[in-house]
Amino acid sequence: MKEMMHDSVKLRGFLKEMIIDTLKLEDVSAEDIDDDAPLFKEGLGLDSIDALELVVAIEKIFNVIIEDEDVGKEAFGSIRILARFLQKECSRLDKDTLSAAG
Amino acid sequence: MPPDEEMQWFEVEETVRFNEVDEWGMVWYGNYLAWFEIGRMALLKAFDLLPRQMVALGYVAPVVNVNCDYKQSARTGDRVVIRTTVYKPEIAALIFKFEILRKDSRELLAKGETKQVLLTTDNKMIYRLSGELEKRVAVLLANCKL
Repeated sequence: MKEMMHDSVKLRGFLKEMIIDTLKLEDVSAEDIDDDAPLFKEGLGLDSIDALELVVAIEKIFNVIIEDEDVGKEAFGSIRILARFLQKECSRLDKDTLSAAG
Repeated sequence: MPPDEEMQWFEVEETVRFNEVDEWGMVWYGNYLAWFEIGRMALLKAFDLLPRQMVALGYVAPVVNVNCDYKQSARTGDRVVIRTTVYKPEIAALIFKFEILRKDSRELLAKGETKQVLLTTDNKMIYRLSGELEKRVAVLLANCKL
């Protein structure tokens, strides 16, 4: 996981698969999802209930908590934005863990 | 989703009114949803989570999904039992389960579910329960498990 967090291309690919699996999107493959297309409404067409499912998946996989819709709207802007958001949050969590350790 | 037999169900009773049946003398299908609402309100009242109490805490809980399977029909004058329970899936939502039984025979007439999400009163969806809302929902959920 740590390795992937430093490889944006891999991470973006992983996130696409995660979205497809979590939301059980039929007829959508990772290649169909543009890195910069909005995930909600006019892009991939996800809705606010889908966001609830994604928040749970992200917390399980990345240990990153998305508190509410304000943060969610920003983080779910696109695959590229979500990847950057997670990279930032994971590196912040790493720093917190390090400072807690010592 | 917990199995039905592991849930604690709460019951209220109603009598089928003349104005609730259709041309064939059977309860009109939409009225079952009104019975679901009676069951839900009775349960929420017991745990201080009525709509106005939710608003006082800063939240509303709109229904985003409903389903109902109809098994048998009820008719004017029938006494029915509305059974209700609730559980929380992994996401920040509440799923109420309902069963409508004929009182005399305990025959299942219909069963269904509603899913509610949680919004703040200024219309923001919440992804996690917190504070007083979390506490009251926890008590509700604990009482709906055997």
